[in-house]
Amino acid sequence: MRTGFGTWSAVAALGLAVAAWVTVFTGELFDAGRFFSADTFERGFDFIKGLLGFETVTTPAFLRGGEWAEKARLAGETLAMSAIAAGLAAIAALALFMFGARNVMMGSLAPYGSVVWKGLFFLTRALFTVSRAVPELVWALIFVFVFTQGVLPGVLALAVHNAGILGKLGAEIVEGLDTRPVRALRSTGASRLQVLVFGVLPEALPKFVTFLCYRWEVIIRTTIVVGFVAAGGLGAEFRLAMSLFKFTEVTLILFWYLLLVLLVDLASARLRRLAA
Amino acid sequence: MDDREGRLGGRFLGGRGALTAILVGAFVLSLAAVDWRGGVFNTGGLSAMGEIAAAAFQPDLAPDVLAIGARSTWTTIAYAFAGMTVALLIGIPFGVVASGVVFRSARTRQAGAAGSRFALAGFRAVHELVWAWLFVAAIGLSPVAGVLALGIPYGGILGRIYGELLQDVPEAPLRALRSAGASEWRVFWFGRLPMALPDMLSYTFYRLECGIRSAAVLSFVGLGGLGHNIQISLQDIDYSRMWTFVYFLVVLIVVVDVWSSLQRRRVAVEQG
Repeated sequence: MRTGFGTWSAVAALGLAVAAWVTVFTGELFDAGRFFSADTFERGFDFIKGLLGFETVTTPAFLRGGEWAEKARLAGETLAMSAIAAGLAAIAALALFMFGARNVMMGSLAPYGSVVWKGLFFLTRALFTVSRAVPELVWALIFVFVFTQGVLPGVLALAVHNAGILGKLGAEIVEGLDTRPVRALRSTGASRLQVLVFGVLPEALPKFVTFLCYRWEVIIRTTIVVGFVAAGGLGAEFRLAMSLFKFTEVTLILFWYLLLVLLVDLASARLRRLAA
Repeated sequence: MDDREGRLGGRFLGGRGALTAILVGAFVLSLAAVDWRGGVFNTGGLSAMGEIAAAAFQPDLAPDVLAIGARSTWTTIAYAFAGMTVALLIGIPFGVVASGVVFRSARTRQAGAAGSRFALAGFRAVHELVWAWLFVAAIGLSPVAGVLALGIPYGGILGRIYGELLQDVPEAPLRALRSAGASEWRVFWFGRLPMALPDMLSYTFYRLECGIRSAAVLSFVGLGGLGHNIQISLQDIDYSRMWTFVYFLVVLIVVVDVWSSLQRRRVAVEQG
């Protein structure tokens, strides 16, 4: 019985993987004759040549100063979008995560033990689940119907998805806290609300900030992707350059993208050390 | 260097105070840097929001929509699992080399680890959807493009984590093996790997959950799946049908989430 679940899991995962490959190779999109032909190879080679600027009749974008400056501006905008998205996600998660912690809402730390709070707990958890189950890109697809074209739909899409993730992580941090210091605070006569604000919150915050920094690394990678459907930043420019076959511009965009990712990874590592 | 900076910061601001100032400052600066002209809502955006919200409670449950939902759910699962296989094929060898634990000569070890880490960082620097678009441009609209697009960045992440986990095992049992005369490969097989494996497995399961979500949006570049149907429904402005597919995705994610957390809990119990 003890090894039962693990074995079952492994067999299920393996079976699904085999079935997956069968589906991939028998699907209508897969054409073996065409895929395993010199044509595919040639096409790939041409694409790489295009990226490197061998295919274009005009000067490659990465040899023009104006293009560098323009893409740098978009890179800056992308960075700002990622920071706004991370900030909004953090604000939303901070406002909600206590409501998603089982021990706060109905366990040992429950300030008011009633059915309403229990309901609030399940509602918050459901909200986290839906917001993080729906990928950023799908949120962006929905939000372009509602919000003004520009950076807003993309930023909000990133914020909603990440608020769900950060909210769940925050709730789990609180559920995993060592409750002894908190209970010590209780025994000094602090009210339940005071316990939450002065006991639970300060203990949970450093870990929360660490997760936020990790999420920022993910968000900067995804900011370009929401730009595929919403306007703003390098993503929209990437889509434009790809659809117009301006591959040397794609190269330049990818360069700035990689630089941003590297920058944010380094910044996040620094900030995490401050939080620890 | 960082340490000293930390202490200096601590003297003047307090590390956490500095951190808060930096984070809030970055947020406010970014808000100021972006062009906000044009207001918040589209013309008719508010009513669209109302319609979308209302449709959330009335998903389209017609049999043919449900059938499409079920089929594209499987497509999404298939992309995720096929992509994860590629990710494992990349992550395991690169991760082992990146951990720098199997080579005896110090120079090979360092060169291998550095090269491997650099490659892994490159793989995961680019988002799977960007990979997907590049692959579709390079080799055409084939499921292989989607599987590779998912497998490469996920391989980069798995490899990094595997490398770190393999490095972080306690040294004492390994020394025991070495003093018993085990070769470096044997130390790896019978010491390092068994100790790191539970954490490696549980991280892989966690990534599988992310992989499902990522697979759902790969369809955006024209490969089938749930995301594709969500996109089509939105183009038809059929919010009820869109929510049906969104709910398929939510249920799928929850099922995988439960599976992976059961698996992780079991691992945790076994480790004591």
